[in-house]
Amino acid sequence: MLALRLLWRNWRSGEVKLLAIALTLAVTVVSTIALFTDRLESTLLEQSNSLLGADKLITSNQPHQAAWQSEAEEQGIDTSRVAHFASMVFAGDEMHLASIKAVGQRYPLRGYIDLSEQPFATSGPSVTRASGIPPAGEVWVDSRLLPLLHIELGDSLQIGEHSFTASKVIVSEPDGSGPFSVMGARIMMNMADLDKTRVIQPGSRVEYQWLLASDPDDLQAFVEWLEPRLTEHEEVVGIENAQRRLQGTLKTGRRFLVLAAVMGVLLAGVAIALAARQFAARHINPVALLKSLGVGARRIRLLYLAQLSCLSLLAALVGLALGYAIQELIALAVYRLYQIEMAPAQWQTYLLSVISGPVALVGFALPGLWFLPNVAPIKVLRQDLEVNTGAVLWQIAMACGVLILLVVVFGRDLMLGATVLLALAVVAVLAGLLAYGLLSLGKKAGAQAGSRWRLAVASIQRRRSASVLQVVVFATAVMLLLTLTIVRTSLIEEWQVKVPEDAPNHFLLNIAPSEVEPFQTLLDKNQLSVEQLYPMVRGRLTFINERPKPEDTLNREASLTWSDQLADDNEVVAGQWWDEWSGSESGLPGVSVEAEVAERLDISLGDELTFSIGGLEAKAEVASFRTLEWESLQPNFYFIFQPGALDDYSPMYMTSVYLPPEQKTFINTLLTNYPTIVVIELDRIINQIRTIVSQVSDGVGLVLLMVLLGGCLVLVASVNGSINERKQEAGLLRALGASRSLITGGVWTEFAILGFAAGIIAAVAAEALLIGLQVAVFEVPVQPHYIYWLLTPVVTAVFVAAIGAFSCRHAVNTPPAVVLREAA
Amino acid sequence: MATILQARDLSKTVTTAAGDLTILKDINLSVDKGESLAITGASGSGKSTLLGLLAGLDVPTSGQVLLADEDLSALDEEGRARVRAERVGFVFQSFQLLPGLTALENVMLPLELSGKAGARQQAQDYLARVGLAERLEHYPPQLSGGEQQRVAIARAFACAPEILFADEPTGNLDSATGKTISDLLFGLNAEADTTLVLITHEDRLANRCARQLQLAAGELLISASAAVQ
Ligand SMILES: Nc1ncnc2c1ncn2[C@@H]1O[C@H](COP(=O)(O)OP(=O)(O)OP(=O)(O)O)[C@@H](O)[C@H]1O
Ligand SMILES: [Mg+2]
Repeated sequence: MLALRLLWRNWRSGEVKLLAIALTLAVTVVSTIALFTDRLESTLLEQSNSLLGADKLITSNQPHQAAWQSEAEEQGIDTSRVAHFASMVFAGDEMHLASIKAVGQRYPLRGYIDLSEQPFATSGPSVTRASGIPPAGEVWVDSRLLPLLHIELGDSLQIGEHSFTASKVIVSEPDGSGPFSVMGARIMMNMADLDKTRVIQPGSRVEYQWLLASDPDDLQAFVEWLEPRLTEHEEVVGIENAQRRLQGTLKTGRRFLVLAAVMGVLLAGVAIALAARQFAARHINPVALLKSLGVGARRIRLLYLAQLSCLSLLAALVGLALGYAIQELIALAVYRLYQIEMAPAQWQTYLLSVISGPVALVGFALPGLWFLPNVAPIKVLRQDLEVNTGAVLWQIAMACGVLILLVVVFGRDLMLGATVLLALAVVAVLAGLLAYGLLSLGKKAGAQAGSRWRLAVASIQRRRSASVLQVVVFATAVMLLLTLTIVRTSLIEEWQVKVPEDAPNHFLLNIAPSEVEPFQTLLDKNQLSVEQLYPMVRGRLTFINERPKPEDTLNREASLTWSDQLADDNEVVAGQWWDEWSGSESGLPGVSVEAEVAERLDISLGDELTFSIGGLEAKAEVASFRTLEWESLQPNFYFIFQPGALDDYSPMYMTSVYLPPEQKTFINTLLTNYPTIVVIELDRIINQIRTIVSQVSDGVGLVLLMVLLGGCLVLVASVNGSINERKQEAGLLRALGASRSLITGGVWTEFAILGFAAGIIAAVAAEALLIGLQVAVFEVPVQPHYIYWLLTPVVTAVFVAAIGAFSCRHAVNTPPAVVLREAA
Repeated sequence: MATILQARDLSKTVTTAAGDLTILKDINLSVDKGESLAITGASGSGKSTLLGLLAGLDVPTSGQVLLADEDLSALDEEGRARVRAERVGFVFQSFQLLPGLTALENVMLPLELSGKAGARQQAQDYLARVGLAERLEHYPPQLSGGEQQRVAIARAFACAPEILFADEPTGNLDSATGKTISDLLFGLNAEADTTLVLITHEDRLANRCARQLQLAAGELLISASAAVQ
C-alpha cells in the first residue's frame, strides 16, 4: 500500500509520466499488431471456408444418416445440407441443362449469398446480401441463365414437374463452382421444393453434401468420430488447398506487419529506456535519503519494483484498450469498405498483449534502474559522489533479448527479428560515428557563423554525448519510418503487379474445337483478346511407374493440356522444356509436372505416368518440373503434355480474358451464341485478394503512425533529460541580457542541426537496410530512392526542430528569476 | 552518564587517481546520551566524512564505531540501516527534501516507512512546532531555504531519534534565518533530550553546544572549551 502511495506521489510530480507513456505506447503497438494479425488470419480462414459454405463437408451419393445428425447436434456442430444435381430447365421453347443446388435451412454456414435484381452485376448498390435461402416457389439463378432461356427476372421457369419464379440473380455464393457447374448455369432452390419437382428418381446422379461448422477442436473431434462410419462413397472435404493459396498471399503482408511491429516496439523500447534512465537519475537522491532514514536496499528494491509493476500493469491495460480501439477502427473501416466482418481475436492474444507491458518494463526499464537500490547512503552527505549506474552492455543485451522474445511470441518469426536487430546494431554504431563527425563539422562551421548558430553549436558541444545519442536515436527512428514507407509502397506495388488491373478476370471453358474460330472472330469484333487457347482433356492420374498413385492426393480428375510454349508465369525448375528435351528412350511423349504436386506425389524426372482419360490409358514420361504463380490468375495446369501427345482424345478448349466492367454484358452475347461455353467469373477472387492487400496496408499505415509517435517520444524523453540544465542556461543567458528570440532561435537552430544530421544518416542507413530486406526477406528487386535522399534531411530537420523547441518551451519562456530558482 | 556514541581509532583512507588519500586518522571520541557536540574545522578537514562514519552511512578503513552499544563496522549495510531507522535522525546542509512531495508528506515519509500509525497527525504536530502549520500542502520549491530546513528539522524530530546528526544545518542560509533554525534545533533538542552531533564552521552555532571538537587535516585537536571542561 505504501508502494501505491509512493507511486501516486511520483505520478503527481510527473516523474513517472514519461515512463508510463512509453510503456503504454509499447503495449499499444504490440496489441494493435497482435490483435490485427490474429483477426486477419482468422478472417482469412473464415473467408476461405466461405468458399465451401462450411468448415468441412461430407459428400455422398445419398443423404446423410439421421443418426449422424443427432450426434452432430449433441456435439454442438452446426449443420446444413445441399443436394447438387443436373437437370434440364425449361422456359417456353428454350431449355438448358442447368446445375441445380437445392439448399436446406441455414445454408451457408460460412460466407454469404449475394444477390441482385440486375443481371451481371458484380458490385454496386443493386447487390444485397441474402438473409436466408430462396423462399419456396422461387429460385435464384446465375445471370447467364437468363439469356440462355430468353427470360427476365420475375419470369417463371420449369424444373421437372414444378414451376418456379426466377426472382434474383446470384452475384456470389459459396462454392460457386459446384461439381456440376461445368455443365451449365447454376440455379439455387429451396430443399423443401425438391420433392415437388420429381426430378430425383432412383438412379439419378445426385451429389449430397452435408455441411458442418463449429470450433476447430470440436469439429475435429466430430470428424474423427465420423470417419470410421463413412462408406467408400462418402468423403470428408476441407479446403486446405484454397487456404494455402490465400495464405501465400498473406505471408508477405504478415511479415511486413511483424517487421513494423518490431520497429515500433524497438522505438518504444528506446523511449522506455531513456525515460527509465531519467527516472533513475532523479531518484538517486531520494534513494540515498531513504537509506539515511534506515531503509535497507532490499526494501527499497521491493518498493520500487512494486511501484513499477503497478505502473506497467496500468500502462498495459491502457495500451491494450488503445490497441483494441485502433484495430477495431481498422476492422470497422474494412467492414464499411468491403462488407467483410473480421473474425474476433483469440483470448490468448489479449493476454499476451497485457503481458507485454511488464515484459517491456523488465527488458527496457529495469536494467537501467537496477543500480538504484545500491546507491550508497553516504551520497546524502557527498553530492559529488559518482554513482555506478551499471553496465550499459548488459542493459542493451537485456533489451535485445526481450525484443527477440516479443518478436518470436507475437510474430512467430525469429529470423526476421534477428536480422532486423543485427542490422540495427550495425546501423546504430555507424550512426554514432557519423553523428560525431557531422557534429564536429558543425563546430567548425559555427566558429564563423552568426550568434544564433554559435549558441546552438555551443549547446550541442556542451551536451556532446547526449547530442550524439539524440542523433542516433532519431536517425534510427527516421530510418525505420523510411524503410517501412518504402517497403510498404513497393510491396503494394508488387502485389498490384501480381494482380494487374487488366489481369484476366474471366475463365472461359468448354469451347468446342469447331467453335474456336468463330469464337475468336467474336472476340476480335469486340476488341477483346485472349492470350492463348489451351486444349484440355479431363483425366485421372492412375500410376506412377508401376506403383498406384497415392490415395490422399489428386483424387479429382485433373485438367490435362498440351502446349509448345511455356506461359510467362511458369518456370522450369528441373529437367528441360520441349525445345531442349532429348526425348524419351522408350519413345513416350513428355509431360511437364507442377513442382509441388510432383513433390507430394513423389514423382521424379524420367518417371512414367499413366493417366486414365475417358476410360482409355495414356502414358507419358516426366520431362520437367515447373513452378507457377497461382496469384497470376492465368490458367494453370498440373500436367502439360508435349504437343500431339493427346491428339487421340477430343479436347475442349479453355482460355482467360479480361473484360472491363462496362463490357460485362459481352458474356450475354457470348452465351447466347455459344450456350455450352462455361464462364467462370474470377472478378470475385480478384476482389478478395485486393481486399486482403488493402486490409494489410491499412494496418501498416497505422503502425507507421505509431512508429512516428515512438520517435517523437524518444526525442521528448531525451530533451527532458537535459531540461533542468537548459532552464538554468537560458535563465542565466537572459539574466545576462540575451533576448528571448535569440534563445528561441538558438534552440531551433540546435535541433535543426541535430535533425539534419539525423536525416542524412537515416537516408543512408534506410537505403542499406532496404537493400538487405529486399534481397533477403521480400525478394523484390533493388531500386535506389533518390527523392528520399533529398527530402529526408530537410523534413527531419524541420520536424526535430519543432519538437525540440516544443520540449524546451518552458526553459525558454519562464522568467529568468523563476527558472534560476526552480533549477537550483 | 551513559555513552551513546563512541569512535575508536577511526581512520578513513580513499584511493584516488593521485594515490591513497588519508582523510581521517586515528579519531577517538565519545558522546554521552543527551549531550550536544559540535565538530568544527576548515573546509576539507574531513568533518562530513567523520559524520558519515559516526552515523553509519559509510564504513571506516580501520577502527570501530559503537552506536548504542552496537558495533557498526561489524554490521552489514542492512544492519546499519536498521540501526539508523531505530535511533538516528539527520539534518543536512542541502535540506534533502523530496521535491515532488508536499511539506507534510516529506515529514510523513519516515513515519510511514517505519509503519507507525498516526503518521499524518504526528507530522502535522511537528510542522506546527516549527511554525509551518499553514504550509502543509506546499512543495519544497515553493518554500524559502529557511522554511525548507524547518521542514527537514520537523522530519528529523518526528521520528524521535536517540541521536541527531546535523551537517552544516545553517550553511545555506543567511545569518538571521540561521539563527531561527538553530533556535529551533536546540529548542527541540532540549525538549526531546536528544543527543546532538553537529557539524559547523560557525562559532556562534558551535558555542551553543556543550562540547566542541576541532578537526584539522583529518585529526582531532582538543578545543579550548573542552579543555576548560
Ligand atoms: N570518497 C572520496 N574520494 C575522494 N576524496 C574524498 C572522498 N571523500 C572525501 N574526500 C576528500 O576528503 C576531504 C574531506 O572531505 P569532507 O567532505 O569530509 O570535508 P569537510 O570538512 O566536510 O569540508 P566542507 O566544510 O567543505 O564540507 C576533501 O578534500 C574531499 O575531497
Ligand atoms: Mg562537509
